[in-house]
Amino acid sequence: MTRIDEGLVARCTAVLAGLALCATAHAAQKELVIGVSDALTGPGAVYGLPQSNAVRMAVDDTNAKGGIKVGQDVYKLRLVAYDDKANPTEATNSVRKLIDRDGAQYLLGFCCSGPTSAVASFIGRENVTMLVGNAAERTITAQGIPNLFRTRPPADFTGSAAGAFVAKRGVKTIAVIGSLDVSFYSQYLEAFEREFTRTGGKILAKETFGLKDRDMTPQLTKVRALNPEALLVLGYVEPCAFVYRQAVELGMKMPRYGFTSGSEEQFLKVATSEQMEGVWDLRPTELTVSALGEKANAYVAEYTKRFGTPPSPSSPYAYDQFYVLKHAIEKAGSVDPKKVQDSIRSGGIPPEAIMRYLPVGSAMFDENGQAYTTNGAFQWQKGKWVYVSDLPSDPVAYSKYLRSLRK
Amino acid sequence: MSRALRVGIGTAVAIAALALPHALTVPYFLHLTILACIWTVLAQGQNLVQGFSGYVSIAAGGFMAIGAYASALLSVKAGWPVWTSMALAPFVAAAFALVVGYPSLRVKGHYFAIVTLAYNLVIVTVLNNYESFTGGEAGMPNIQRPAALVLGGLQLSFAGREGYYYLVLLAAAAATAGGALVLHSRVGRVLIAIRQNEMVVDALGVAAWRYKLFAFVASGFLAGLAGALYAHFIGFLNPEPFGTDQSMNAILAVTLGGSGTLLGPIVGAFLVVTLPEYLRVADTYRLVAYGLLLVLATIFMPRGIVPMVSRGFQGMATRLAAALRPRPDPTP
Repeated sequence: MTRIDEGLVARCTAVLAGLALCATAHAAQKELVIGVSDALTGPGAVYGLPQSNAVRMAVDDTNAKGGIKVGQDVYKLRLVAYDDKANPTEATNSVRKLIDRDGAQYLLGFCCSGPTSAVASFIGRENVTMLVGNAAERTITAQGIPNLFRTRPPADFTGSAAGAFVAKRGVKTIAVIGSLDVSFYSQYLEAFEREFTRTGGKILAKETFGLKDRDMTPQLTKVRALNPEALLVLGYVEPCAFVYRQAVELGMKMPRYGFTSGSEEQFLKVATSEQMEGVWDLRPTELTVSALGEKANAYVAEYTKRFGTPPSPSSPYAYDQFYVLKHAIEKAGSVDPKKVQDSIRSGGIPPEAIMRYLPVGSAMFDENGQAYTTNGAFQWQKGKWVYVSDLPSDPVAYSKYLRSLRK
Repeated sequence: MSRALRVGIGTAVAIAALALPHALTVPYFLHLTILACIWTVLAQGQNLVQGFSGYVSIAAGGFMAIGAYASALLSVKAGWPVWTSMALAPFVAAAFALVVGYPSLRVKGHYFAIVTLAYNLVIVTVLNNYESFTGGEAGMPNIQRPAALVLGGLQLSFAGREGYYYLVLLAAAAATAGGALVLHSRVGRVLIAIRQNEMVVDALGVAAWRYKLFAFVASGFLAGLAGALYAHFIGFLNPEPFGTDQSMNAILAVTLGGSGTLLGPIVGAFLVVTLPEYLRVADTYRLVAYGLLLVLATIFMPRGIVPMVSRGFQGMATRLAAALRPRPDPTP
């Protein structure tokens, strides 16, 4: 009878078991494509590029920690980011490419309203999940598209809080200078006006400038002649910085309120700190360390280290999008977009979130797919934005209003 | 090129175009082809003014906007059937072109270009500011595709990209055929004469302004058709895609492909749509790369791609014929 070498059997078994384990581990390591469509060039890039960087940072961090664990599988993430130039046709092209060619089922980014609305018009027919960042146009979430969620509150949610704040400060007459042909600024103004005039305030003038305009002295000269008690400036960072600078150059000393979401670095490229002194920014409580705490501090430090420039205040909307998605996938135990959507809808605020979200009920997103942050009053003091106070905000009432707009 | 060869090539191209949706494995390329066909319609219209009569109009984007908004507003706000709206939209754009073209064509050269540029700016400004009607910068969502058609028991649906591709292919083919009809008619010959020397045309007693107006209105008609096709394909409209950039792209498509040729606008339209997309690999430098390619193309192919390729083929054919021609026997 042949003797069996027990040691040999044990060694063979160990080798086979090892091979099997390797094979299992190899099979379980999968790839998940995360698509980003955003304005990486052109005037919208001041918002889009930091958003894209923020997602890249979150993806890199997650990959460095091993990826996303879904049941027995571990997913490594591959980020594919395309430039939409803040143009609706380009955005449609880039999203089609992400879905059709790159196989992305999760789409993040979306800083500008026009291109986001174009994508929203067909995304409901696709088996994907779309998370919108900085694009604040109201109708994007008013349509109730089941696979679309937005981290930034609509502009008029902030506008009405800002109107009440300015009126409470005793301002009776105000002149507006802004990109009023851009819908989310006009929506902000509409809500601002409603609240401001409720207590007897009056808007003396509404002057418009284009996104690429740099000389605002004609509008300012006209406004100065009306002698308003305050100025309200609405628009992208650069043109607004020119308004603030040129107002000082023209000797206008009234209080200046605005809605821009620009960082210190972005403003200081155009205006000096002295010219900015005392300016108010009435916006969602975005990236200001004094308002958001240590987590924001760490985010700013890490972002600055990686990209060599500080993040824009609105960039965490995209950073938070990613963590909303990550936790939803883990909770769903699946990468099926429909299951992940259900998970997002019922999920709370992710612990990594930078912004201060106001939950509606127990969930981060309301039935429209809309999340709400607190609104804040920030003032430029000695070279930086200083958080002064919260603005009165009611997400439950706004959520009902948003739902009422659905046809 | 012999007639038989031309018919052969034409048939092969037609078969390839019809089979394209089944040959493409990635639907994204079909999406780009649809846009390229829409841009072909726009470029064929631009070619009537720029290529045939030598007048550079910078209003193609504006007329495209009028067609797009006319069709969208008629179908979404007035509740008209999409087919009716799409059919009427080019006529609305043509009517605008008639009204603005009559005074504009009294000026020539650069002045005409500046006047049409102003029209484009005005159209976009009105669309942006007339919010209650157009939705302004926030735009108009939910623009529907046309309803399915039943032809001989066969149902043609346009809800998907494949069905819509055949619709825009038909439109591009019709626009090209229309261009060919004009080019080979008396009108086309007068337009080319205007391009060569308008004073001579006037001196011969031909009312040049009528022919120019015809080209301008026909161009507006095709731009309106392109706009209607675009609106119902993308499903969302705001004024952003119809700015002067769009008009410059139409000029570029004609110049790049071959001004005054029939195939040039097709080649140019495909390049204008696909080149920036393929250059996405260059990331944020893609527009720099695109600009560089255009500069090089303009320097080395000033008459456009189609005339250059055509000349190349003719040269090859001549050399081939010379090589194949039996040489006379030198022996006595």
